[in-house]
Amino acid sequence: MNRRRWLIKLLLAALAHRTGRTLLLLSVLAMASSLATALGVVSLSMGKRVSEEVRKYGANLVVVPAAARLEVGSGGLNFGAISDPAYLDQGRVEKALASGGLKAERSFHLRGALRMKDADVLVEGVNFADVRRLFPWWQLRGGWPGPGETVVGSDLAQRLKLKAGDTVELTGTAQTLKLKVSGVVVTGGEEDDLFFLALPELQGALGLPGQLTEVRLLVSAEGDTLKDKAAALQPLLPDAKVREVRQIARTSEGLLAKVKLLMTLVTAVVLISAGSSVTGTMSTTVLERSREIGLMKAIGGTRWEVLLIFCGEALLLGVVGGVVGYLLGSGIAVFITRTVFSAAPEFIPWLSAVSLAVSLFLALLGSVGPMISVFKLDPVRSLRGE
Amino acid sequence: MLFRILKNSFLKRPKAVVLVFISIAMGAAVATAFLGIAGEVSHKMALELRSYGANILLEPAAVEGGGYLRETDLPKIKTVFWKYNITGFAPYLFGVADLSANGKKERAVVSGTWFAKQLEVPGEEASVQGIRGIAPWWEVNGRWPEGPDEAVVGASLAKRLNVGLGSEVGATVRGRAARFRVAGVVTTGGFEEEQLFAPLVTVQDFLGKPGQVSRVLVSALTVPMDDFGRKDPNSMSKDEYEKWYCTAYVTSVAKNVEEVMAGSRAKPIWQIASAEGALLKKLNAVMLLLTVLALGASASAVSTSLMASMAERSSEIALMKAMGADRFQVAAIFLGEVLIVSTAGGFFGYLAGNQLAALISHSVFNSAIASPLWLFPTAIVSAFLVALAGSVAPLRRALNIEAVRVLKG
Repeated sequence: MNRRRWLIKLLLAALAHRTGRTLLLLSVLAMASSLATALGVVSLSMGKRVSEEVRKYGANLVVVPAAARLEVGSGGLNFGAISDPAYLDQGRVEKALASGGLKAERSFHLRGALRMKDADVLVEGVNFADVRRLFPWWQLRGGWPGPGETVVGSDLAQRLKLKAGDTVELTGTAQTLKLKVSGVVVTGGEEDDLFFLALPELQGALGLPGQLTEVRLLVSAEGDTLKDKAAALQPLLPDAKVREVRQIARTSEGLLAKVKLLMTLVTAVVLISAGSSVTGTMSTTVLERSREIGLMKAIGGTRWEVLLIFCGEALLLGVVGGVVGYLLGSGIAVFITRTVFSAAPEFIPWLSAVSLAVSLFLALLGSVGPMISVFKLDPVRSLRGE
Repeated sequence: MLFRILKNSFLKRPKAVVLVFISIAMGAAVATAFLGIAGEVSHKMALELRSYGANILLEPAAVEGGGYLRETDLPKIKTVFWKYNITGFAPYLFGVADLSANGKKERAVVSGTWFAKQLEVPGEEASVQGIRGIAPWWEVNGRWPEGPDEAVVGASLAKRLNVGLGSEVGATVRGRAARFRVAGVVTTGGFEEEQLFAPLVTVQDFLGKPGQVSRVLVSALTVPMDDFGRKDPNSMSKDEYEKWYCTAYVTSVAKNVEEVMAGSRAKPIWQIASAEGALLKKLNAVMLLLTVLALGASASAVSTSLMASMAERSSEIALMKAMGADRFQVAAIFLGEVLIVSTAGGFFGYLAGNQLAALISHSVFNSAIASPLWLFPTAIVSAFLVALAGSVAPLRRALNIEAVRVLKG
């Protein structure tokens, strides 16, 4: 008991007596573990952040009727349909999506031809709230439409000399719609050649209540690959075809994998190098204390006790450094996520354990490693300063 | 005398020197690796994002059907101002035809295109253009067409026609007939699955439209749109227009391409272009912040390790002073040590960092990296400066000590 108290006293005195050295070691340990925390948080949340960004590329699965229409186009650009349309039942699709347990954002589309004056125009019925959320690349001049209003594609608008505020009359098989143009949309894709109006209005005009021609799904890229998700959804929709939009889906998967790999490598490089620097600094301070060790041995300290004192110091430094480092690192991670992704930072509690472990490991490695050579010291010689 | 002291200070306490050396080399390695890849990563990521597909569509300016672009204008795309930003393009010619195979008949779209065409433009490097370059997500079961009568068939169309690899497909349109042999079946999840793709020349002959093209898809490296880029170029002043034209916005690259293709109009495909801009901006910002973080960390690691090693040498300094060394001589000895260790550390750190950068670039992007030449002197000089910064404080304290006190213990 007495001896143990003596050891603790010695330990604290050693730390307190050399404030400069203690602070230096604390700061390098804190730096290393804050790096571990910050890089850990950033690279762990990077996958999530990038997959959120990748959503801006649009839907990655589409559901179309099994007897799909023929369409002309390439590279995601559609230039029109050339055969009889087939339809999907909205209720059945919704039920299948619900029972499939698939976490996905969805947008329903019905495409058909309406008569305008003496020519047919292609019209798409959509839910504008879904469009705003899932197709952020729509550049709308004018306003989003309310009931009885429509949005017209820019090429079509140019051809028909329409602008926001004009009124158009579109005739379907069931009824005629009188619509006000609320805005003109530019996407650079097929949308530039279409009229857009609210889904129920188009379903009414075409006499196709509850019918759809396409459902676009934006499935979160986590977990299974999209191919598997598409395959799992397919049996629930026997009269439809579930397609993976490879242009979006595959590229996103590849990109995510690359970003994750990059972050992992970068984290590893920084941690290993910072770690070895810190260990080196730790070792330097221990190496310079051979005289102290000689003295301890000379007054009867065993190897074990000397080791205990140094380990105790390292532990103390490591714990304090780890805690400070975790706080500092979380701060850095918050700063990065705020400025870059303007997203709320994520707190990963188990990283505090990692941060503590990094700090402890480096501290122990840095002080115990050189101890092995210090053990060989002959106390008489080291006290003489040889 | 100075040299002898320096030599002995390295030889007599190798462990301490090695520790400082390791710490400097590691710091320099991280700095080199980060500076080496930071610039490249944004370029590589931009290239990576190009695999989302073309971001510019060229179509005939006369929107109401009928218009065509000229195939002879295509090589000019490789000569425009932004030619180095254009990573690839592919022309398309569409026509609806009656296809028949195994007794089944279907109406479908026949597309003529370039799959991987060797393009020789006078005065420019030869390049390979076509679908294989701009649409890497195409999954072709079988192989890409090589002969003029070979075609790839979309998966759904192949199913409806009941054709497989090696089958023959007959096509007729307005009395003209052609036969294609199926070299591959393509799955994309898009409209391509309903079409038959054959070499451009074959389809031009078949449709009776020699030298004509209905669409061109262009894949270009662009910078993210900002507020200036979103301004309408028609309302810009002359200087502004010049600045806009000389910035690789997707709109200005589109304008640039449009100018060389007679009778065309170029539209950015915003689905691809806007998402790409946003993603690139964020990835670059992350890389920049991480670089700053890594540089800061390695600099402070090096400084602190120098501090630690200098701090404990006060008795040595005191002895030197007692023997009559002046401040200048003491400083010269220590700075000489720092210079030697940090030059060696910087050199080895540079070598290691280069390897690290190459390793990262190779395993992530599967490509080699050219590290800039200025990095070599920068690595060594900055290693020295950082080491110096770390030794200044302890050295100053050491110079001010009273020799007698320290030597007494």
